[in-house]
Amino acid sequence: MATGVQNQESVPKNLKKQLALAVRDIQWGYAIFWSISARRPGVLEWADGYYNGDIKTRKTVQAVELNADQLGLQRSEQLRELYESLSAGDSSPQARRPSAALSPEDLTDTEWYYLVCMSFVFNIGQGLPGRTLSSGQSIWLFNAHHAESKVFSRSLLAKVGACALILAKPILVNTLRNDSLVYVFMAGNFGNRLSQSASIQTVVCFPFSGGVIELGVTDLVLEDLCLIQRIKTSFLDAPQTIGSNKSILVAARTGNDKDLACPALDPQILDTKLSPLLDCEQLEMASPNDSSDGFEPNHPAEDSFMIEGINGGASQVQSWQFMDEEFSNCVHHSLNSSDCISQTFVDHGNVVPLCQGEKDNDNGLQDVEECNKTKLTSLDLRSDDLHYQTVLSALLKSSHQLILGPHFRNSNQESSFVSWKKNVLVKSQKARDETPQKLLKKILFEVPQMHDKGLLESPEDNGVRDAAWRPEADEICGNHVLSERRRREKINERFMILKSLVPSNSKVDKVSILDVTIEYLQDLERRVEELESCRELIELEARMKRKSQDHVERTSDNYGNNKITNGKKSSLSKRKACDIDEAEQEIDYVISKDGSTDNVTVSTNNKDFLIEFRCPFREGILLEIMDALSILNLDCHSVQSSTTEGILSLTIKSKYKGSTVAKVGTIKQALQRVAWKC
Amino acid sequence: MENSTQESQPRSANFITYESSYPLYAMALSSMPSVTNLNHQRLALGSFMEDYSNRVDIISFDPETLSIKTHPTLSFDHPYPPTKLMFQPNLKSPSSSDILASSGDYLRLWEVRESSINPLSVLNNSKTSEFCAPLTSFDWNDLEPKRIGTSSIDTTCTIWDIEKGVVETQLIAHDKEVYDIAWCEARVFASVSADGSVRIFDLRDKEHSMIIYESPQPDTPLLRLAWNKQDLRYMATILMDSNKVVILDIRSPTIPVAELERHRASVNAIAWAPHSSKHICSAGDDTQALIWELPTVVGPNGIDPLSVYLAGSEINQLQWSAALPDWIAIAFSNKMQLLKV
Repeated sequence: MATGVQNQESVPKNLKKQLALAVRDIQWGYAIFWSISARRPGVLEWADGYYNGDIKTRKTVQAVELNADQLGLQRSEQLRELYESLSAGDSSPQARRPSAALSPEDLTDTEWYYLVCMSFVFNIGQGLPGRTLSSGQSIWLFNAHHAESKVFSRSLLAKVGACALILAKPILVNTLRNDSLVYVFMAGNFGNRLSQSASIQTVVCFPFSGGVIELGVTDLVLEDLCLIQRIKTSFLDAPQTIGSNKSILVAARTGNDKDLACPALDPQILDTKLSPLLDCEQLEMASPNDSSDGFEPNHPAEDSFMIEGINGGASQVQSWQFMDEEFSNCVHHSLNSSDCISQTFVDHGNVVPLCQGEKDNDNGLQDVEECNKTKLTSLDLRSDDLHYQTVLSALLKSSHQLILGPHFRNSNQESSFVSWKKNVLVKSQKARDETPQKLLKKILFEVPQMHDKGLLESPEDNGVRDAAWRPEADEICGNHVLSERRRREKINERFMILKSLVPSNSKVDKVSILDVTIEYLQDLERRVEELESCRELIELEARMKRKSQDHVERTSDNYGNNKITNGKKSSLSKRKACDIDEAEQEIDYVISKDGSTDNVTVSTNNKDFLIEFRCPFREGILLEIMDALSILNLDCHSVQSSTTEGILSLTIKSKYKGSTVAKVGTIKQALQRVAWKC
Repeated sequence: MENSTQESQPRSANFITYESSYPLYAMALSSMPSVTNLNHQRLALGSFMEDYSNRVDIISFDPETLSIKTHPTLSFDHPYPPTKLMFQPNLKSPSSSDILASSGDYLRLWEVRESSINPLSVLNNSKTSEFCAPLTSFDWNDLEPKRIGTSSIDTTCTIWDIEKGVVETQLIAHDKEVYDIAWCEARVFASVSADGSVRIFDLRDKEHSMIIYESPQPDTPLLRLAWNKQDLRYMATILMDSNKVVILDIRSPTIPVAELERHRASVNAIAWAPHSSKHICSAGDDTQALIWELPTVVGPNGIDPLSVYLAGSEINQLQWSAALPDWIAIAFSNKMQLLKV
């Protein structure tokens, strides 16, 4: 791991001192020298550095006060030691380290940033140092902590620092591996406390001696070419292999480049190059991801993660893509705090197709050793697509093109559909002469009528109404009360009509109306039955008795009890007998069954009434009876009466003179009232 | 072949056309692959001819080779055009026979075997043989496969137990003809009617129904209804003579969640995606089939479709295959096309 030493052979021996001088001269925060790694060609890695920024806790063994230079050097060395010890990993570092060694809690965030930088590597051409080297020109990154990660891959780190304070120790031990880096972010309060502290706001890189020197400061420093010049001259003995006074201002935000005199790299170019990836990221944002905030520790490591605004409202949601570095297991350590999102972060600038089939790793992270074999290619959109596709499929647990999003088209086979564009002229703009929805309407309206037997029967006819349910639609909201009300009104209307048709009752509620209707219907049915059977009887009678037209008068003598059937009749209950012709005809009747002494039998044929009446005799009762009958509009034209043992027996034939139908019951009642009057 | 030509480059388009000798309306996609060739999708196509003799044909589609195979023996007559066809839903394992249901004058069940079709039953609920109430549509409950609900012009919906061949229950669902019915769970269904309302019924409580939407112009019939099987909160419906697809949330009655208004003519058919809760496809008289993705938040200008397909003439029928969710079947004039999503 400690390869820093090796690389120093290729640079001036007092590099550190020179870095120190340079950085202190301009009073910046740190200086790092990146050089080509001896281990891995084509890769820039941390060679040496000097930290000149804020310090939190001093730890020195000596009692002697060191001067500023020495303090600074010592600090830098201590930081390096800490880094190495942390990255040494599993072996319990604590025991071995000298007491004066720094431990994680002692560092400020800027120091953390510096320390974590030690783990970075950059491919040539990627990342700030890499691009510097490949282009041979210095880059001044203004507002670095807001830079997009493509431009400055450590921007997030620069912004917030690596807050590993509380949880860091056990995690970092396991996570700082070779060339890999761990961020432990505390979501939530994070921004407040730390955002200012580690904000490396300006970073400058320039090529030097086959490597790149990077300087950083927590202040916002406008670009100053002289400054760069100054620093370079302080390294005078080293040949400036790539010396160019032109610097490229990389505007971290697109608004920045206007006032600067230097030819600015058109951010658009950068953007377009980066945009396919950025778009992808935004789309990733759009597709809902359930685990927005906390990824469960056991979440199988996906290829990209999303980090939601770490810094409170900061909406730098970016997706990090893993490189072929070895990943750490940090994700799968059970984090004590559920707020933590731990990320494994590798150099961002390098986009390579990831090896696939990395899922289902219990232990969490895939060991990406196999990924190390994948080629490092430059930004390759096609492989990006494939990679992106894999990522999305795994995340959304689907391989259907629709779910994976519209930008994901045409991965396997081409779709029949084209993307929607507004205002595209549709060919079939012909005049709508024809009926809209013609076939649909035919199916719904006409076809049912086609069926021969399809005389549409309403449910009532079908007897459906008995069997079917008619759910009453609930009023959920006022708007459809109208239709319900209409229906109810219709129903009520019908009820009123029904009420008027049946014998009056005092109540008006629906149930009573229905009850009365039922009774009345049953009553009528009975009557109809009786009438019909009576008619039969009469016909029978008439046939037999047609010859004798004699009017047989019947006196009621000795009725005694009960039924006396006069004539050839069989007994029928209640009131029977009809008169076909006028009173001349023979009338059969049956006395009703009750054995009480006052019997009222009323038989009627249309408007002719035959009343037979028995009651206890008293004076004047006959007159009263006549009165009662005349009140009832009965015109008596024949009365036979006799009194036997105090019982008056009457047979009255009368004609009803009223216009409406007289009711038998009424007559009976009236007569009985008379009979019982004292 | 019809092709969407909005881009100048020719598409190596993935769609298959089947041309029939008569106009098509009813269409059904089998939920299970055929026994002999797994991954083949079977389709039933019902004709629309305005006389007594109509036919239903079964064809099969191979998505690998993009070919359609007709089976002359798998065909039967139907009195008047079938108003709807549907295969038994959710058949997971290939079995030798599939069941196809058709509606017209009655609900009929057919057993579709490898090389023949046998009529299984005719389900007729009329008490007398004189009258019948023709069916406008039906839906096969996928959680309770013995249950089919039918909708009829006599304002009722009838729930059948097809195993026993008897009526489970019958409801007077609306004040006017019922045009479509859709199941939600085993015991809940919704229906739309000429009275312009969408009502939800629960078989456990037949006394009550819920009106969750009424067409804004009173008594504008609602013609079709589709319930999102992936997210049971949402339903879609279309109105008569309207180019809008109305998306409803059953939790907020009477207020549509969205109105998809990009068709240039009236909409004829709608189908939710069987595998995604946010996607729906609609087709209409403007010959377009549009796939929409419903966002969580609707922008001020409404929702635009994701993608579009232009067919040769007005699209009358649309079915999204549940067995092969990447394929959508449409029917227009006398052609049927299978489109890749």
